[in-house]
Amino acid sequence: MNKIKLGLPSKGRLKDESIKLFSSKNLNIQNTNSRNYFFNFEENDNFDGIFLHAREIIERISDGTLDAGISGLDLLMELPDEYQNNIKILKKLDFGFADLVVAVPNDWLDIQNIADLEEVSFEFKEKYNRRMRVATKYPKLTEEFLLSRGVIEFKIVGSLGATESYPFTGSAELITDITSTGSTLKENNLRIISDGKILKSSACLLVSKKFKGKELDIFR
Amino acid sequence: MSKALINKKNKENISKKILNIFKKKGFDFIDLDIVIDTDLLTRRSGEGFKKYALNFRDKSGKEISLRPDLTIATAIQYIQSKKTGTAKLSYFGSAFRLNKKGDLNVFDQIGCEIINSKSSPEYLVLSTVLSVFKKFKKNKITVNDLGLFQGLINSLNLPHRWKLRLIRHYSRKEYFDELLKRLDTNYDLDNEKIKIDYDRLEVLKKMDFNKMIGSRSVKEIIERFEKKIKDPRDNFKGSQSVKIIKDFLKLNMPLSKSANIIKKFVEKNNLKIKNISQILLKLNNLNKKLGLNKDIIFDTKFGRETQYYTGFAFSVCRQNKELARGGEYNNLIKTLGGKQTPAFGAAIYLNQLI
Repeated sequence: MNKIKLGLPSKGRLKDESIKLFSSKNLNIQNTNSRNYFFNFEENDNFDGIFLHAREIIERISDGTLDAGISGLDLLMELPDEYQNNIKILKKLDFGFADLVVAVPNDWLDIQNIADLEEVSFEFKEKYNRRMRVATKYPKLTEEFLLSRGVIEFKIVGSLGATESYPFTGSAELITDITSTGSTLKENNLRIISDGKILKSSACLLVSKKFKGKELDIFR
Repeated sequence: MSKALINKKNKENISKKILNIFKKKGFDFIDLDIVIDTDLLTRRSGEGFKKYALNFRDKSGKEISLRPDLTIATAIQYIQSKKTGTAKLSYFGSAFRLNKKGDLNVFDQIGCEIINSKSSPEYLVLSTVLSVFKKFKKNKITVNDLGLFQGLINSLNLPHRWKLRLIRHYSRKEYFDELLKRLDTNYDLDNEKIKIDYDRLEVLKKMDFNKMIGSRSVKEIIERFEKKIKDPRDNFKGSQSVKIIKDFLKLNMPLSKSANIIKKFVEKNNLKIKNISQILLKLNNLNKKLGLNKDIIFDTKFGRETQYYTGFAFSVCRQNKELARGGEYNNLIKTLGGKQTPAFGAAIYLNQLI
């Protein structure tokens, strides 16, 4: 029998919670303290495991290198549609909660919702002869969301980190970012606009659509 | 000879004949650039337009697109030429567009454009295009004046921001319909939030008005906030306006009767549309010039999806195939970085003729 190739997040709370989830089903990882990227479960020889970056887990399930894995819904949805065509969400898990939201400088008190943003984006373009820039690590989801809400006058600025700083360094006017409590946004003088939630994300157990085994049904 | 080669020869022969007709009418041929700065496209149509264009990055990282539209390419060339007088231009070439699935479609077009005309150019362009098809019988001609829609919206009893929204999104049919639903139920803004932010206003008023916050000045933010709270939120009659808009968009009639029917519609709904008499006069004149015996339909919905049309627009169809389309685009050149310049043009779709 072929072993199930499983990918788990390689660091942080997502890694810890994933290990805990498998333990709750009596799938305990051997040598948890090891720095080895490969792992197996105690007393269960059905799995070949590997710790990977959460985004890479999705890519490897999509290309068939892995059969299953744990990653964030936000990462899956941000990738091109073909990834979603290759991958099934077996279960949305109760950890790794975070929302992808639209946030503006707190002092933009005239902007409360997307309708306001749409209006101001047109006024901004007319006044400054350029489009409002939106800094984000999630260009695809951001673009789809804004366009579906009638905000068409914007330009995406790709960000790799510290996105919250962009409106105050002149690199962008507003941002979209992932947040679980909103406190980082608040500390950086940003405010989530009402109806500005793009995606409610959590960790997910993902499987390849080609995977036909029943071993992961215990998580359903 | 292979079918593809025969098609190619046919296209070449037909295009030569059409360009000759254009030349006789005084249009100068120009050769258009095949790639366009993507930023110019999105400046005109917004970020969403990128989905329909084939985009690349050059060595410096700048995004460029294969031209998705030849009118835009002509307008860009006009701006770059730094001409100021009237230009009568014709072109021949391919436009490259992706469909919803992402497949590339190539449209071969021959067009003529009149830029910065001192007189009304619509009859000249329309009659030039119609002279190409004069041998064909049973052409169906559809016309509209998109300026009429704008006039209608501005005459309605609605908050200013709603008028702007409806005009801006008229070309996006699905979103426009969603806006009508919202307008019908008066769903707009959260009043509780307005109260909270009103407190914050006092803090902002103590700041330096020139201070920039996220590229917007404190003055700009305060002014818009104050304007916003003065604009009625929930005590206007949205549903009545929605009914008028929907009824207007159902108007579809022979051009010969259009001026009369539109006049009655305006009177019945007690609307004060700016320039209505000029629009109706234009329709009557056009009807006389084109000949009363021609089968021409005035359809208030026609041409809305072509985002840059601002006024009169037309199409010529035969057996459900659109052979040509044209219209007025008075804001396009300004949006692309030029001066405010009136323009009118049309394209003949070669793929449909072969």
